[in-house]
Amino acid sequence: MIWRYILKRILWMVPFLFGVSIVAFLLIQAPPGDYLTTYIAKLGESNEVMDQASVQNLRERFGLDQPLYVQYFKWVSRLMVGDFGMSFEWRQPVSDLVWGRMGLTLCLSMATLLFTWAVAFPIGVYSAVHKYSFGDYLATTIGFIGLATPNFLLALILMYIGVVHFGADVGGLFSNEYKNAPWSMAKVWDLAKHLWLPVVVLGTSATASLIRIMRANLLDELNKPYVDTARAKGLSEFWLIMKYPVRVALNPFVSTIGWVLPNLVSGAVVTAIVLSLPTAGPLMLQALLAQDMYLAGAFVLMLSSLTVIGMLLSDILLVLLDPRVKYD
Amino acid sequence: MTRNWRFSSVAALAVGVFLHPFTAMAGEAPALAEAVAAGNLPPLEERLPAQPEVVTGLENIGAYGGKLRRMLGGSNDHNSILRIISPQGLTRWKPDFSGVVPNVAESWTTNEDGSEFTFKLREGMKWSDGEPFTADDILFFVNDLLNNQEFYPNAPARFVVAGEPMQAEKVDDYTVILKFAAPYGTFLTELATPLAQEPVLWAKHYCQQFHPAYNDNVQAMVDETEAVEDWPALYRLKCGEVEAPNRWSNPERPTLDPWVVTGEGYSAGSTQVVMERNPYFWQVDEEGNQLPYIDQLEMGVAQDNEALVLEAIAGNIDFQRRKISNPANKPVFAENAEKGGFEILDMINSNSNSMAIHFNHTHKNPQMREFIRNHDVRVALSLGIDRDEIIDIVYQGQGEPYQIGPRPTHVLYNEQLGKQFTDYDPDKANELLDAAGYAEKDDEGFRLFPDGSRIVFNAQYTGVEQPDWGDSLEIIKEQWEEIGIELNSTSVERSIYYSRGEANEHDFMVWGAPGGLDPTLSPRDVLAVHPQASWFAIPWTRWYLSGGSEGEEPTESMKKRLALYDAFKQEADQEKALDIFRQIHQEAADEMEIIGIALAPNLVGVVNKKLMNAPRSLPSSWMYPDPGPTLPQTWYWPES
Repeated sequence: MIWRYILKRILWMVPFLFGVSIVAFLLIQAPPGDYLTTYIAKLGESNEVMDQASVQNLRERFGLDQPLYVQYFKWVSRLMVGDFGMSFEWRQPVSDLVWGRMGLTLCLSMATLLFTWAVAFPIGVYSAVHKYSFGDYLATTIGFIGLATPNFLLALILMYIGVVHFGADVGGLFSNEYKNAPWSMAKVWDLAKHLWLPVVVLGTSATASLIRIMRANLLDELNKPYVDTARAKGLSEFWLIMKYPVRVALNPFVSTIGWVLPNLVSGAVVTAIVLSLPTAGPLMLQALLAQDMYLAGAFVLMLSSLTVIGMLLSDILLVLLDPRVKYD
Repeated sequence: MTRNWRFSSVAALAVGVFLHPFTAMAGEAPALAEAVAAGNLPPLEERLPAQPEVVTGLENIGAYGGKLRRMLGGSNDHNSILRIISPQGLTRWKPDFSGVVPNVAESWTTNEDGSEFTFKLREGMKWSDGEPFTADDILFFVNDLLNNQEFYPNAPARFVVAGEPMQAEKVDDYTVILKFAAPYGTFLTELATPLAQEPVLWAKHYCQQFHPAYNDNVQAMVDETEAVEDWPALYRLKCGEVEAPNRWSNPERPTLDPWVVTGEGYSAGSTQVVMERNPYFWQVDEEGNQLPYIDQLEMGVAQDNEALVLEAIAGNIDFQRRKISNPANKPVFAENAEKGGFEILDMINSNSNSMAIHFNHTHKNPQMREFIRNHDVRVALSLGIDRDEIIDIVYQGQGEPYQIGPRPTHVLYNEQLGKQFTDYDPDKANELLDAAGYAEKDDEGFRLFPDGSRIVFNAQYTGVEQPDWGDSLEIIKEQWEEIGIELNSTSVERSIYYSRGEANEHDFMVWGAPGGLDPTLSPRDVLAVHPQASWFAIPWTRWYLSGGSEGEEPTESMKKRLALYDAFKQEADQEKALDIFRQIHQEAADEMEIIGIALAPNLVGVVNKKLMNAPRSLPSSWMYPDPGPTLPQTWYWPES
């Protein structure tokens, strides 16, 4: 049964995430040195002297003088009660830092996903049905350009044009007056006005590849006998395509949901940095660079959870969509 | 100390004179006057100290209103806030970086041997929440925090002399004596540096609630606060600490700053930090108007330095050099200055050199160590570098051949330390190396150690932060081939770079040389005193800092310098102290442990054309946390 299937999958997530937490912790610890090495390096850059006593103080305060497994168990046991620990770099509880970022990240991810689908789906179908037509070539060309241009470059170009030629306010997700304001309709509208730029930038390459996948898959299906049968039975061409081949060809859309969520968090880091987006990516990158392990660890865990949830979603959707997929 | 510091804004001055008659009447900001009228705020004379400090703006008496826009880097850029707020310590730098003047303290006296400092505070001075600021606040720091083993297992070095932490004695509410176990001649200067603000950072009436000596229920507060394990952690979370962003994340924490944070302050989630005037700020202009003039600081957050440059050229930044100060940005700024309505800031570089080569005098390989420690060899390696070529190719012609040491405009300038052996003379270099006993070469023309192995320098640099170092090293590699020395360079990540250096595993390290305008504050290139960054001899530093029990004994020359440095720190007489430093520099010049490439060129920044009282040229340094000491509280907008 589908419910049992879902339940089983959810239960499997627990040991999986536990494993992930170990790997994440070890990976963050893998580079030589620790947060204090990075911190001292940063102070050295501004010609600040860090005396040995203070270094020792900090090391003890952060528990960095303890063996690795002790640090890990301290972290994990606190995770159980929802305490993510203290960020070394920001000297604030990690949970204060993470949730706001994750919220905006999800919002941006969803908007990008919808944009990608809204564009890729009709164009892909059109390209496949009108193979080698002018429209197909046009869509293909634009798609390839979108795929080939690095996102951050596109972002920089759009920002430069915006600033220099239109005096536009680019970068960030809000205008100055709404940045610190509480949520309101006006703030949501302001967000919408800023959201299109990152959505377009982040969506272009994904759109391009989905167009190609859709087109290829649909082309495979269009020549199959069941299509001819349906056509012979007098089904209108539009319904015919939508109801059978498109449904099969949708498979890759659905099966990639699992990657889309974490991809938008991690893969879009450079773009998010360029566009000054207050999403999770830049903060996670900085935490990793600084070896701020509790903060980085929290992000890695969230990303893993998102991946697992995304995979679950796409599996469920696949089961519903494609009768050939079995659950067990 | 510096003479070349100047304010060059003749045009702005003219506008200012014209506008002068329109400035507001003596008093306070209109918004505060309204609050007083509405009964929400005590009148001005009750908010100011009995004798507020009178400060003079650069050009004119200003006018109230407006906001100042700046940008913060996305990752942990709290020091950018510190720089504009200026660390309000007991003392502060004069605007020209030439010495210190009273700040939070009204005045001070020093005892004869320079071990006790009596600070007079301003009567009636208030914290930003209206509570009085008194000697008890300073005693709270000294007795309950500095000398509390739970809070500081080891007290910060700047408050420790002869192994004993600073002690305090209260004379009356407005007089306090700070005492040390031995003379501490540089204490007053130290207090003006950005991280020595602790004595007046924490308001006792607020922060004591997080201290077990004053609140029996601290443990309950610790338990209910996430991620906090003990009271010092809770204290630091709520009351902030000097070198951490959470200092600006609690708007309830009272301060002595001209502006205070509002809303959520600064944290990793911030996209903007807004600060508003402190209604109890304790400085006034010459006409008795309470400062600051500007109502609000608005600091956006951008992750990427290029995005910051874009904001600057779009005219969205009113005063800033941080993150955009790379001299390579100068042409971009020049091109857009008109459209963006800004001028280019001339930031006098406090660094000595753009790039210094710190040969490792304590190298683990005895042959390499002997090679590096040979004075003639170092002279040869210096003569073997064509600095003009590097300056042309890598530094866009900015700078001149230079070793290290104070900049030519500084009172401590030592020509030998700065300019010796900077001409390019490969023939002479070859002669010196031959004479030094390294005449044998292999078939590729590289010199050999006595055991027949090739002399090779393997150097690392932090390529992400400083790509120019890599470019320069490539050129030096070719130039050194002429004198038979092989050089291999690789780019590494910064913390790895530091770990290698601290592990003493380097042939030489490349880093910028501080000490151009702040030679006495950042002497790490002429004295082995910095345990992480006196790259030329980390084990000597350890020897010095551990009193001889760890590390490695330095050379006679270095021991002499370290003894002089100890004398310097105790010397209260400024002139005598400078003379001691002259001896240190002379000794360092004769020894020439490290070599430099080019005098560090000035940095750039942007300043809104209309911003009055703001300098157009100023020193750029961390010890002088620019632009704070130029008193941003006196800056103003002429029309608003």
